[in-house]
Amino acid sequence: MLKVTDIGKTYGKFTVLQNIDLEVADGEFLAIMGPSGSGKSTLINILGLLDQSYTGEYLLESKSYKDVNDNELSQIRGDQLGFVFQNFKLLTTYNVYENIEIPLIYSKKKQSKKHEMVEDVIEKVGLTGKEKNRPAELSGGQQQRVAIARAIVNRPKLIIADEPTGALDSKTSKEIMEIFTKLNQAGTTIIMVTHDSEVANYAMRTVYIRDGRLYNDEKSVKNHD
Amino acid sequence: MTDKIMIALKSIGKNKNRNFLTMLGIIIGIASVICILAIGDGFTHTVTKGMGSHDTRNKVTLQWESTSDYNTDGGFTANDASVLSKVPGVDRVKLASSIVEAGAKVQYKTKNISIGLNKQPKHLKLVKGTYFNMTGSSNGVYISEDLAHKLFKENAINRLISIDGTVFVVQGIYHIGDMNYRPDAYVSKQVFKDLFANQISKDQAKLYVQPNANKKQIGRTAVKRMKKMGEQKNIGKYSVSNPDAISKQFTRVLNDITYFIAFIAGISLLIAGIGVMNVMYITVSERRKEIGIRRAFGATSGDIRNQFLIESVVLCVIGGIIGIILGYILVAIINAFLPFKAVITAYALILSLSVSTAVGLIFGFIPSNKAAKSELVGLLKEE
Repeated sequence: MLKVTDIGKTYGKFTVLQNIDLEVADGEFLAIMGPSGSGKSTLINILGLLDQSYTGEYLLESKSYKDVNDNELSQIRGDQLGFVFQNFKLLTTYNVYENIEIPLIYSKKKQSKKHEMVEDVIEKVGLTGKEKNRPAELSGGQQQRVAIARAIVNRPKLIIADEPTGALDSKTSKEIMEIFTKLNQAGTTIIMVTHDSEVANYAMRTVYIRDGRLYNDEKSVKNHD
Repeated sequence: MTDKIMIALKSIGKNKNRNFLTMLGIIIGIASVICILAIGDGFTHTVTKGMGSHDTRNKVTLQWESTSDYNTDGGFTANDASVLSKVPGVDRVKLASSIVEAGAKVQYKTKNISIGLNKQPKHLKLVKGTYFNMTGSSNGVYISEDLAHKLFKENAINRLISIDGTVFVVQGIYHIGDMNYRPDAYVSKQVFKDLFANQISKDQAKLYVQPNANKKQIGRTAVKRMKKMGEQKNIGKYSVSNPDAISKQFTRVLNDITYFIAFIAGISLLIAGIGVMNVMYITVSERRKEIGIRRAFGATSGDIRNQFLIESVVLCVIGGIIGIILGYILVAIINAFLPFKAVITAYALILSLSVSTAVGLIFGFIPSNKAAKSELVGLLKEE
């Protein structure tokens, strides 16, 4: 699905990421763990084609997306990727339905088909009846469900989640992780960043990031220290 | 496109007050454009309708003017007419006179007075005598009060006078009011034709030209030929007379006024445009998070640019529509005070909407472009 080789990124003299090699198989559920400031978000922005200023090689479905034009990147993000952000990142003035519909605005599908797709994911994340509600009228868990619905509405192959439970209590976190598990079981590849080991346990595999370097298990992180 | 307009309307609706204030400039600008055009169009319409009676479409009029201060008699002769009829593009030539009355000399006893004389009109109010239409070679004459006073101190009716050697009987006396113009004497139609008409110099030659002929070219050629061959070229000069000139000058003044007011309207629209630009900058910076989300979910930078451009145009067009409505109201009010009717034409409406759209496009472009060019990672850090 996704393969990056020797990814590096610097801000001026400050190195954020270096020598990152990572391969994610089709249908895999990968957790990336690390403390804050370790470079998790920077890495995930690169993996999600949100950030193009890095060194190294990036292959998605064996196609290199280094140096492709902006429009093509937008299209790939819209068609193949789905994002779930830590603070939900919902548009507060839009209702549930309108928030979920956003990725479809930029895809060339029929209006009736779009409607069907939105209704389908609303049901999937258990928000039926909440279509007209504004985000402020929903609980944190419900808001994250809206965000997940938005991420999967265009049926992406890969979901990239940045601390999806970061703003939720443990009970709600569990519910959200169960949704992710179900999505993964249905064949969607997931890359999730978290600093919560309990949440990471839902993933098939966990990698660790520390000071901009990636490690395959916790032991090797400690060895490095 | 409809959904994009809906998105624009929605976000405009979110800041009604702010956006209405921004629109105010456009509203005032467009309303004044509507008013100017309505007054201008109404005025032009009235003026040109009034001038419609002078049908100059297929006619070129040549004018002869005396160059002598003493002898002003002269003009076009029959020979001149035949020369003019051979000018390419000319169908026929008619000689006419800008002077309607003949000059004559009246004699009564020892008094000798130069007068202007014409054929009698259908109706004439007399102060003395009775008025009837004289037939055939009647030797009756109606004279003005002024002339009667100069010739005879007392009763003038039935007295005999000599006009250019022919004897006439005074039938009646008429008054010439201050605001009226009348000749000094009227004779019967037949007598006028027989004795006096040929004295009136034909100082105008009307050239009836073929349809689609180049009137300017014909006029120039005709004047050139007359300068060479005109029988009275030595005592006068030839020119093309232009009855449109007055209305043209009038229209020019009107146009100048229109341009001036349009200039002011332009400045108000410019200021309105800057307001739109300002509010679009604010909108863009307030909605960085939204831009980031849309970009992450597949919007291209072009989609973002269009979204904000559409919003800017929709904002301006709404302002334009309100401005048009306000313009209608103002024109209705103005019409109560104007001597002519100001009219709002379809052209004015189209122009107003085009101007609003243009303001939206021009002043929305830079902020929209800024939105489109923002770096995605930075946008997604916004909360």
